[in-house]
Amino acid sequence: MKRGEFIRLTTGIAVAAPLLYACGETKRGTSAIPGEIVGASAAAGHLLRDHTFNPPAAFEAKEVVIVGAGVSGLSAARYLVQHGVTDIIVLDLEQQPGGNAASGGNAFSKYPWGAHYVPVPNNNLTEYLSFLEEARVITGYDQAGLPVYDEFYICHDPEERLYVNGHWQEGLVPNFGLNAAELADFKQFFALIDHFKKLKGSDGLDAFSIPVDTSSRDESLRALDRMTMKVWMDSQKLTSEYIRWYVDYCTRDDFGTPYDMVSAWAGIHYFASRKGKAANAAHNDVLTWEQGNGFLIEALRKNLDGKIATGALATSVKASGDRVRISYLDVATRQLKGLEAKHCIMAVPQFVAARLLGDTERGKAVTDYFHYVPWMVANLTVGDLHERGGQPASWDNVIYGSASLGYVDATHQQVQQRKERRNLTYYLPLTHTSPEAARKEAYRAGHTFWAEKVLADLHRVHPDIREQTERIDIMLWGHAMVQPRPGMVHGEARKSLSESIGGAIHFAHTDLAGVSIFEEGFYQGLKAARKILQKT
Amino acid sequence: MKNAAGRNSAQWVLLVAVFIIATCGLIYELVAGTLASYLLGDSVTQFSIIIGVYLFSMGIGSYLSRFFNDHLLEWFIRIELLVGLVGGFSAILLFLVFPLAFSFQPVLYALVGVTGILVGIEIPLLLRILKDKVEFAELVSRVFTYDYIGALLASLIFPLIFVPYLGLIRTSLFFGLLNVGVGLYLCRYFAGEVRGVTAIRFGGILILIAEVAAFIFSEQIMSFSETLAYNDHVLYSTSTPYQRIVITKNKHDLRLYLNNNLQFSSADEYRYHEALVHPAMTAAAEPRNVLILGGGDGLAAREILKYRSVRNIQLVDLDPGMTKLFTGQDILAEINRHSLKDPRVTVTNADAFIWLKENKKRFDCVIIDFPDPSGFSVGKLYTTAFYRLLKTAMTPQAVAVVQSTSPYVAPKSFWCVNETLKASGFQTIPYHNYVPSFGEWGYVMARQSGAYQLPDTFAIEKKYISQAVMEQMLQFPDDMLAHEPLEINKLNNQALVNYFEKEWGKFLDQ
Repeated sequence: MKRGEFIRLTTGIAVAAPLLYACGETKRGTSAIPGEIVGASAAAGHLLRDHTFNPPAAFEAKEVVIVGAGVSGLSAARYLVQHGVTDIIVLDLEQQPGGNAASGGNAFSKYPWGAHYVPVPNNNLTEYLSFLEEARVITGYDQAGLPVYDEFYICHDPEERLYVNGHWQEGLVPNFGLNAAELADFKQFFALIDHFKKLKGSDGLDAFSIPVDTSSRDESLRALDRMTMKVWMDSQKLTSEYIRWYVDYCTRDDFGTPYDMVSAWAGIHYFASRKGKAANAAHNDVLTWEQGNGFLIEALRKNLDGKIATGALATSVKASGDRVRISYLDVATRQLKGLEAKHCIMAVPQFVAARLLGDTERGKAVTDYFHYVPWMVANLTVGDLHERGGQPASWDNVIYGSASLGYVDATHQQVQQRKERRNLTYYLPLTHTSPEAARKEAYRAGHTFWAEKVLADLHRVHPDIREQTERIDIMLWGHAMVQPRPGMVHGEARKSLSESIGGAIHFAHTDLAGVSIFEEGFYQGLKAARKILQKT
Repeated sequence: MKNAAGRNSAQWVLLVAVFIIATCGLIYELVAGTLASYLLGDSVTQFSIIIGVYLFSMGIGSYLSRFFNDHLLEWFIRIELLVGLVGGFSAILLFLVFPLAFSFQPVLYALVGVTGILVGIEIPLLLRILKDKVEFAELVSRVFTYDYIGALLASLIFPLIFVPYLGLIRTSLFFGLLNVGVGLYLCRYFAGEVRGVTAIRFGGILILIAEVAAFIFSEQIMSFSETLAYNDHVLYSTSTPYQRIVITKNKHDLRLYLNNNLQFSSADEYRYHEALVHPAMTAAAEPRNVLILGGGDGLAAREILKYRSVRNIQLVDLDPGMTKLFTGQDILAEINRHSLKDPRVTVTNADAFIWLKENKKRFDCVIIDFPDPSGFSVGKLYTTAFYRLLKTAMTPQAVAVVQSTSPYVAPKSFWCVNETLKASGFQTIPYHNYVPSFGEWGYVMARQSGAYQLPDTFAIEKKYISQAVMEQMLQFPDDMLAHEPLEINKLNNQALVNYFEKEWGKFLDQ
């Protein structure tokens, strides 16, 4: 080969190679449905792990610094501002505050990325009810003193459906194609739940109440926290396939924990702690919005303009005399900044709190007792889907036997006649293996993997899902929520980790309640804020 | 045909032809009789007349046969092909002609007559063709034997085999093909003796092709003819992103269907629209600003424009396809008297719920003319949430009226609308009237205050409403009452959709 020929050949390859590569890309691009993995928390979090930054040059003085703008943090901030403590700042590493109640949107609707509803609230939760009044979710009270909810926020009919035995049935409690014995299991189960709803412990407190800490500490009830839901169900001879699936679905839905891993106390709490009454809604109705609980986040932060710093990744929280010094990375400028506060509320999960405090002993306690389950949430923009027979498309659409929790239609609360597209939010708690392994798997897999997983599941009920889906975005929650395994709620770990440090560092997070529900976050924040108000 | 054997075989070929002609002839007669009793009813009369006409026509044919003097074989083949053509297409022709009711019977008897005449010519012609070849007594015996055997065969296979398996159109085509086949075979067999055989054969092949094609596409022809026969003429049909709009017309009326549901018949829509509009407009007293929700056909607007007090009509209809059609199409705009082009009328194509949420204006009268609550989507337009929103678009003295389905077919649905309006803070005045194309129909007037007083007069141009009629419309007999406590229709229970589905489902099952 002559030199000239060689040059021509290599230039040819050099020019052609990217073209060939591009062709391959294009091919792959058109076969896959567009979309991306959204949410930068993991990448930003890893900045902290992989880089060292210069310590902050100065520490700006603040009365209160709140780390974490989820429900707990924003609830604390709201309460403080309402009670005159206005020199505060809430730090959050995400671009949008909200934590698990984060939301997004497109031209067709807003949609949730996490928590998407709250049940009709218990009537004894005065502070929570007044917040809902402030948010105009409650429009007034009737003569009996029952709250009247804004009709646009009560979940519209048809609310729920379950695809079971080749048919969409109304409601999520399986009944289509069940025999008498299987149906009897449900009757017995709900009779037991009814009993627990009314039950009071020897201390006179409700057996199951919200927040969990207001529940009875009767020993006979605490015993339920030493066994799994499955063991308790076996003891009650609730063993049919359907009742097991249903309870497992519920505990995965609320706690991201399968029924054979979740504490029986927590499992029963899910069913027996909801006692809310409303003037214009049924006790089992729920309140929901296009953007899910993102609506409540907007209400919580209504008076917090200028008091929330997003893209702010806290790196350390240290007591300094009677004050607290907080360092955080401004993700946009990649600079470490400092704050010095009279009080700090750590409204973050405990594994993050331990790391920020640099407390290895605390870290060990967290690793031993706190297990955080990863979740995958997908938002699909779809056209008209082919429907299997039975109940028409509903707000919550669940597939019996699926690893997923089904999907919620974000456009369900829209009142217009015609919806050009619908946004469906699909939930999958990654409980098939240990949280650590599932987390690693989740971050390794790409968009195509997750999109295919979602489509394969939905294909059973919507055969044309691939053709009708225009876009799928994926959110991976590495540590979505703490798992209320046995010993979590009534154990010592969460109590000792809830204690304030030196009267200046306070903790507020649903993992300290053991169950990740809106009310717990709301009251965690209130509790921490009240500790500060007592001292000022 | 120079020898006895040749003569003999020619004779048999012609006798087989007689047999087939006889079979086919009777089949055509049976097809005509069946079709006539099927389409016109009264089978005794139909069959009786058709048999009479057919036999009489055969007589005419026999008489006419005397005028055929030369080229008998040629004529025989030509007539054979002609029978195949007329008889073969007879069923299709009759099906297609039927919708033009005035011309059906003449066409029917003409067809039977022509077939009878042609068959009637054939037998005498054949006798004359064979008269030199066979001894007379023998000839008559053979020809008529085969003729009558053919008739028996036809009358047996027609009801037992052909009608059940092929249907009428394909049966007549099948025998048409057989006729033409015989004709073509004769052309070939007697090629030497027939003049202009090529032209005859060409014609025969054309008929053959046409009948084969018709045989293959008989399903489509059948369904086309059935749309002609059983539905009105479809003037216009289109699918918008919101609904399917179909407009049909027959000599009595013009009808609008949305998603296959009748919206109005031009023959009696005045009863519906006068009852919908005038009670509320009269109760509102000198209304200036009127809101119409739905009503894209412009018919409610037509009624409202009769009031001199009216300054503005705001019409909100979801579907631009509807309002465009009823603005621009002359036949339709004539029915609404060009109301949508009136300068007082503003047409907005928007979702009523969303429009109301954003609306800041207040109206003196609101006419709500939505489709029936047959699904969860449209059911939202009948909820407390919607009616509370409606209140924000009404002046304190304003009157609204809601078309509320049939209180006879669906009393629970009707009274559920009434209860829902009451629960939303309205005083209600339910009433109903009879619209022939709909049946008993219901409306609910709603106002925020003031007792309802029967008006002394409806001082507008009208065909139906009057004080006496209004008084009657307010009376509900027992079979239009709900007889049980009803749920209020809310976004979170959609009680009305459930009532509606059950009541109309039961009614339509009957």
